[in-house]
Amino acid sequence: MKRKKIYQNILLLVFLMVTVASCRDLTDLNVNPNGVDPLTVNPNLVVPTVITATAIPYLEMGYHGDIAGVMQYVQKSGWGSGLNNFDWISERSWDSYYSNLRNIRLLTERSVAEGYEFHHGVSLILRAFTFGYITDGWGDAPYNAALNAPAGEQTDMFPAFDTQETIYKGIIEDLKQANTLLSKSTEAYKGIVNEADVIFNGDPLKWRKMANSLMLRYYLRVSSKLTDYAKSGIEEIISDPNTYPVFTSIEDDATMSYIGTSNSDSWPANTTYDASESNFSRIQLGAGLRDVLVELHDPRLAVWFNKAKVPIQVSKQYAPETDIRVDGVRYIDPDYMAANNMVIYNRNNWVADVSAGKVLVDTMEYVGIPTAYLAAEPYTYNLNPSPVQGGYNEHVSALTDMYRDAAGDLLKARLISYSEVCFILAEAAKKGWSVGAQKNWYEKGIQASLDTWEVGDRYDAYIMNDGVIYDGSLEQIMTQKWIANWTVAVESWCDWRRTGYPQLAFGPRGRRNAMPLRFRYDANEKNRNSDNYSDAIENLVETPFTAQDGKDSSWSKIWLLQ
Amino acid sequence: MERKVLQVILLGIFLSLSGTAFAQLNVSGVVKSSDGEVLPGVTIVFKGTSNGVLSDVDGNYNINLPNAQAVLVFSFVGMQTQEIQVNGRSEINVTLESATIGVDEVVVTALGISREKKSLGYSVAEVKGESIQMVAQENVLNSLAGKVAGVNISSTGGPGSSVSMVIRGASSLTSDNQPLFVVDGIPMNNTLNNVSQMGGDNKADYGNAISDLNPADIESLSVLKGPSAAALYGSRAGNGVVLITTKSGKQKKGLGITVTSNTVVETPYKYLPMHHMFANGNRPYTQDNRPNNGLPYQVIDPATSGWVGPELDKGILAYQWPYFNAAGELTSTPLVSHPDNYKNFFETGYTTDNTVSISDATEKIDYRVSYSNMQNKGVIPNSDLHKHSFSLNSSIKLNEKMSVSSSINFTTSGADNRPAGNRGANPMQALYELNPHIDVRALKDYWEEGREGLQQKAPYQLEINPDGTYSKGDFINNPYFLAHEVNNGFQRDRIYGHVKLDWKLTQKLAFQIRYTHDQFHEFRDTKIAMSYSKEPNGYYGLANLYRREQNADFLFSYDTQQGNFNLSVSAGGNYMYQYASNNTTKAKDGGSGLIVPGIYSISNIINTNIQYSSAWSRKAIYSAYALASVGFKDFAYLDLTARNDWSSTLPEENRSYFYPSASLSFLFNNMVEMGSAVSLAKLRGGVAMVGNDTEPYQLLTTMTDAGAWGDQTRLTSSGTLLLPNLKPEIQTSWEVGADLALYDNRLRFEGTYYSSENENQVLNIGLPPSSGYNAKQINAGLISSKGLELSLGATPVKTNDLSWDVNLVYSRNRTRIEELSEGFNYITLWTDAKGGAVTWVGEEIGNIIDKKMLRVEDKKSDYYGWPIIDDEGWDSSDGTWERDGKRVAPVIGNFNPDFTLGIQTTLHYKKWSLSASLDWRKGGQFVSQTLRYGESDLHSQRWIDRTVKVNHLDDVAGYIKANAGQYLSPDGMFFVVVGGPTAETGGFEHTEGGITLHDGVFMPGVVGEYDDNGNFVAQYENIGGDETQYIRYQDFYGWDYTRTATFDADFIKLREISLSYQLPSMKSIGIQNATVSLYSRNLILWTKASIGIDPEMAFQPESSEQGSSGSMFKQGIERFNVAPWTIPVGIKLNVSF
Repeated sequence: MKRKKIYQNILLLVFLMVTVASCRDLTDLNVNPNGVDPLTVNPNLVVPTVITATAIPYLEMGYHGDIAGVMQYVQKSGWGSGLNNFDWISERSWDSYYSNLRNIRLLTERSVAEGYEFHHGVSLILRAFTFGYITDGWGDAPYNAALNAPAGEQTDMFPAFDTQETIYKGIIEDLKQANTLLSKSTEAYKGIVNEADVIFNGDPLKWRKMANSLMLRYYLRVSSKLTDYAKSGIEEIISDPNTYPVFTSIEDDATMSYIGTSNSDSWPANTTYDASESNFSRIQLGAGLRDVLVELHDPRLAVWFNKAKVPIQVSKQYAPETDIRVDGVRYIDPDYMAANNMVIYNRNNWVADVSAGKVLVDTMEYVGIPTAYLAAEPYTYNLNPSPVQGGYNEHVSALTDMYRDAAGDLLKARLISYSEVCFILAEAAKKGWSVGAQKNWYEKGIQASLDTWEVGDRYDAYIMNDGVIYDGSLEQIMTQKWIANWTVAVESWCDWRRTGYPQLAFGPRGRRNAMPLRFRYDANEKNRNSDNYSDAIENLVETPFTAQDGKDSSWSKIWLLQ
Repeated sequence: MERKVLQVILLGIFLSLSGTAFAQLNVSGVVKSSDGEVLPGVTIVFKGTSNGVLSDVDGNYNINLPNAQAVLVFSFVGMQTQEIQVNGRSEINVTLESATIGVDEVVVTALGISREKKSLGYSVAEVKGESIQMVAQENVLNSLAGKVAGVNISSTGGPGSSVSMVIRGASSLTSDNQPLFVVDGIPMNNTLNNVSQMGGDNKADYGNAISDLNPADIESLSVLKGPSAAALYGSRAGNGVVLITTKSGKQKKGLGITVTSNTVVETPYKYLPMHHMFANGNRPYTQDNRPNNGLPYQVIDPATSGWVGPELDKGILAYQWPYFNAAGELTSTPLVSHPDNYKNFFETGYTTDNTVSISDATEKIDYRVSYSNMQNKGVIPNSDLHKHSFSLNSSIKLNEKMSVSSSINFTTSGADNRPAGNRGANPMQALYELNPHIDVRALKDYWEEGREGLQQKAPYQLEINPDGTYSKGDFINNPYFLAHEVNNGFQRDRIYGHVKLDWKLTQKLAFQIRYTHDQFHEFRDTKIAMSYSKEPNGYYGLANLYRREQNADFLFSYDTQQGNFNLSVSAGGNYMYQYASNNTTKAKDGGSGLIVPGIYSISNIINTNIQYSSAWSRKAIYSAYALASVGFKDFAYLDLTARNDWSSTLPEENRSYFYPSASLSFLFNNMVEMGSAVSLAKLRGGVAMVGNDTEPYQLLTTMTDAGAWGDQTRLTSSGTLLLPNLKPEIQTSWEVGADLALYDNRLRFEGTYYSSENENQVLNIGLPPSSGYNAKQINAGLISSKGLELSLGATPVKTNDLSWDVNLVYSRNRTRIEELSEGFNYITLWTDAKGGAVTWVGEEIGNIIDKKMLRVEDKKSDYYGWPIIDDEGWDSSDGTWERDGKRVAPVIGNFNPDFTLGIQTTLHYKKWSLSASLDWRKGGQFVSQTLRYGESDLHSQRWIDRTVKVNHLDDVAGYIKANAGQYLSPDGMFFVVVGGPTAETGGFEHTEGGITLHDGVFMPGVVGEYDDNGNFVAQYENIGGDETQYIRYQDFYGWDYTRTATFDADFIKLREISLSYQLPSMKSIGIQNATVSLYSRNLILWTKASIGIDPEMAFQPESSEQGSSGSMFKQGIERFNVAPWTIPVGIKLNVSF
């Protein structure tokens, strides 16, 4: 009996210990200790997120993305059918853009809650910029009903599409609001952390100038559809620089520098973090850019591209050898060329030559790959003796060595520049709008671009070159704007769609016999929001090149182009 | 308050203890088995009651009789029950005969309660320790493959890889569907998601923690399949429960020592069917017909992904890696093939596994101590695994009524290197992507001479400089370098154990209280040397994982017999607490890496390149439960259970959830006389519910780190919308079954049909991106599973010397999505290879969808069904999944089998026995990314063989048309390629860059368009006539279609075969028993696809959870999970003293 008592006590003790130990409040246990609550997050922790997520994809698209290829800045020797052959028949995801807009919206909400007007203004500019990219690329898109899933209604989860007109006007309104929000002096703002602003280092005036410069961009974008709206908008900005300050020098350019400590914060396709170099070596000069820059004796070409490592010359000097390399030059016998159906690349005739089955031989110092000249990846171009998909080609120009680096003074993601502003105003002047002299803006635009690429000292000579010297034509403005928008190919593509300049030749081997006009809608959007998608594509107008794509084709016309 | 009530109850129980039985007549004796061993623990009761005693460790018993005419019933696990009339005797010695297997089997059920299997109303499978230990497997789960109906085991790779066990199909779509493992009452942490990535494209599978269990310590294993069997384990039992009982000292009186030694040698014998016909390149140039490079011979670039370069073994001279002779001059050499590269690379693997155990049992105390040691060396060079485990199991009898038992287990397991899977640092990828013109043995010394530790020796592209010098271009990774210098090590120390007090309060009332504890700490570190292509600057990273689970529970049990009714009631409660933490410190992927090469330390990484993360979580569940079991006579049994859980992971208003179960069984052979032929005829049925909570912190999102930008933190919001008012998932199921045993149990049958419906599924459903979110968690929907499990056993021969047993196990399961939330029509498990595992409402889980190849759909057209070819000669495809809420993407397969059939057979002849276990999987498909990538670069012999070779015909077009059913119809061959890389292999003349070769191919079809009325207007036929568009062989592959690389997953596998011999008696030297056996395992005998890939390896590790699947593995797809097939030969020696 006594022993039983002891056991009884032990048992009770154990039981007590177990139950006491277990008295934890279940609600407290489920409080997440690991992350920041989005309802209380400091806006400065989101600012770098949304800036980098805006700038990085824009640069990549404009530097070595599909649009950079279509606009003939570069071509790729492998995995580049979207650049080389307009192979735009697949859907293009807009997921990352709307995801970025979700964070931008959070930034807006948190800035308003905290009374951070600077951050609020920045968020509106980034929102406008991102929606600008979306509607430029795809056309009509969810705008007013977008980003609202937490509200939970069916119309929130499955947003209706808005017309381009609505979106562009919304963008302008956001930019106007940003202009107002950012109109105070720096000291008047709460909460600015300079380092978090990886574009302008916390300078409200520069953001304000960017908002107004972007307003010029989007007004001009809709100028053929909403002419009066665009004209009065641009004239209002230019007439009132105190209310609407815009970029006035390249110091104002909206550019983001890279960090360079790991691949995710480095210049794309660098060779520091890709030891095999295959991402770098596949990016090669486009013949379209080369032809224009060579013709204009443009000093920027050497900043961006190397000469072909081994030039080709057509010569009989080593007969009877027909194809021989001597002292780093490859000599090809003209008779041998003729016998083998080869022809020297000629800017004005190459399309006909290729269509006739000729093999092109490019004998210039700088060699660029012509667009859509081959069905396959163009790694065999210019008699490449070691044709490798995505590989280096000793007879074609590669990027200059600075582009191998992970970061650098000239390696910046450019969103909009002073030089673009100049060309916008030159075009507006050409339209007869009161924004100042066309020649003045044209020349300022060129000067700004040359300064940007550190060849400003060549301006005086360059501006007098044939083709550069001011002739008052729209083509000249657009051509110079296209050159200046190197790595900002998205903007050049929008300009080309609008004006038809620069006139770019392309070969017979494009996926369709025309340059693409838009992106096909996102596959997830199409599959998950199919009713609204089906309504939206009714607003697209098919062209002879839409083929079996139906209305949602990369060759259909969006409202802007109709 | 709760505590007060319990105290009162306890006191009451104590008081009732003083009342004991009256002393009357007394009987004693010894119980032995037929082979003369004494039997401790035999239950001796008076017939018709549950009053009685147990025999002690010497087999002695002593019982007071109510009257001299009482009948004693002796029963013991595995023995035939005997009834003996006392007839006034005072000593009765009894010999119990072994029971024929099955009929009187006792199985362990929920909460560890042993039950006679025949009384259960649901299906429980019992697997004996011996059958697990017959053939050594490093992970115990692998031993279960094919042995248990309704259980599907998928191994993700070789030894040390995660092994998935899914019972009765996936019931939840947000978890990895792994069952709960309970070892001696200790719930064990086990998950499938053990893949982590440190360093660019370096995904390693560290294996699941259940492999810490030492197979040699297992006494028996019960699989509780349906929720009715598992209802009492609560939330986690929705996927079934595996109850494991480890060996203890109880089984045998006196000191016993057992030594077991296993050694397995694995010899690789089958590799991927890559061709060795062509060097790297895009066209098979010859010396005379090639692009001019200014050099006398062509240069072969090993970094070219295509393998359609110059032909090998034809005497063609070329400059090929390593290009230069001893004097440093560029030297041409003949292109020859090295068909033995794979054989030369892989090594013979071996595993040794040794166990020593000591056990002893006295009247007061019994214990068992064991130590095991496992060492493995894999077939991939420098891959290994090792494990040491100690266990101590003991119980102490404090007095007649109380006993305390406890166990403690310590396991330390680890590896110096777990080779990476998927693509990137996976040495098998580098090996299989090495063109056969390079001899892999030349890469074995994997450092470049003079740059050891800095630069791997790797085949590279030779660039010719204008000044005539050479430089290195693109390079490929050396498989030996990846195997030796990308090291993913881990070390896991685990401790688990329990302490339990059993107290027989009265004859009828018992009480049990228990505390269990399981924790492990796992340390992983990854060391990557300089020059790996994705981490050129080297890499170091470390991760610390800690998991702990504690459970405290108590249970009252009351047993009574009233007339013909036998009633047993239990009630108890459980408190569970889990804690988990993950901490990592590592260099950023693809970053600036190490400061000083070769020093693997965090301090050797520049500050801005270090990435930290830290997270911890807690979870608790309170539970209360009760069960009752009523038996009527010997032929009807009713079981009822009820449980309520309170989980910390759910919002307060939904935190509490209740779920009951009921099951019933009838033993017809005990109801009516069925003749001696029928040993058992039973019908059973059950209904059950199980509630399921979720992971911690699933109610509200937090910001996550998107990686710092320089010194600026970047936080991002979640793209998944969560539900703050989450409800528990409720799974409702029913099952019916029949068990039949005939002719003294020599013919046995068990069948179960089950159906379960899982409501309130917590699912991530895809939202349109424009909503700002990728996915929304829903708490709706209905998923149903139905299945059939059959097992048939026979003992055709049974004599004293010879016996033969055979067992067949058949399983099939179908899981369908019945409902989702409004506006959502499908869920995605994963997407890859242009398609994915996507299921629409009303369709089956596991379906694989694809893009659609465009064909003429105008039925009036002569070309109806023909592929539409564009004017460049390419096919056209449409990737639309859904239109107007309906699926339009074609379903090309399903990753689940139609059924699986396992066969186990054993033949005993005197001291010899031969056992085998064979598995057949019927139906189902898998996607091979290995072949998709390999074949799109034309690496495989299969693709060369597959093309239609008709270039010798005068009228190719006529031939294609005449065979339209095969080449032009949607029912014929998919993605037809006519032609080949050379004239001999079917190629047509083709000119590019002024060079004409015979590497032209075309796809048969028609070029044209639909007019405005939807009529197809053909322009021309593309079937080999004049207008046909030829494309170079190297460019033409069905990359846009999942189907191109989708294969049937049917196979027959010899899981285990073992021949053992019991050595003659050596008792004179103290050896009680010695057995030696020879065995092999996992021999693949046949695969329907016949592509050298084990369909079971279609389980692709990723570094994050996939789609709605909750799993880091993509089921039904593989990428470089292509370890060679091996012939393992093992020898096992088992000696007991």
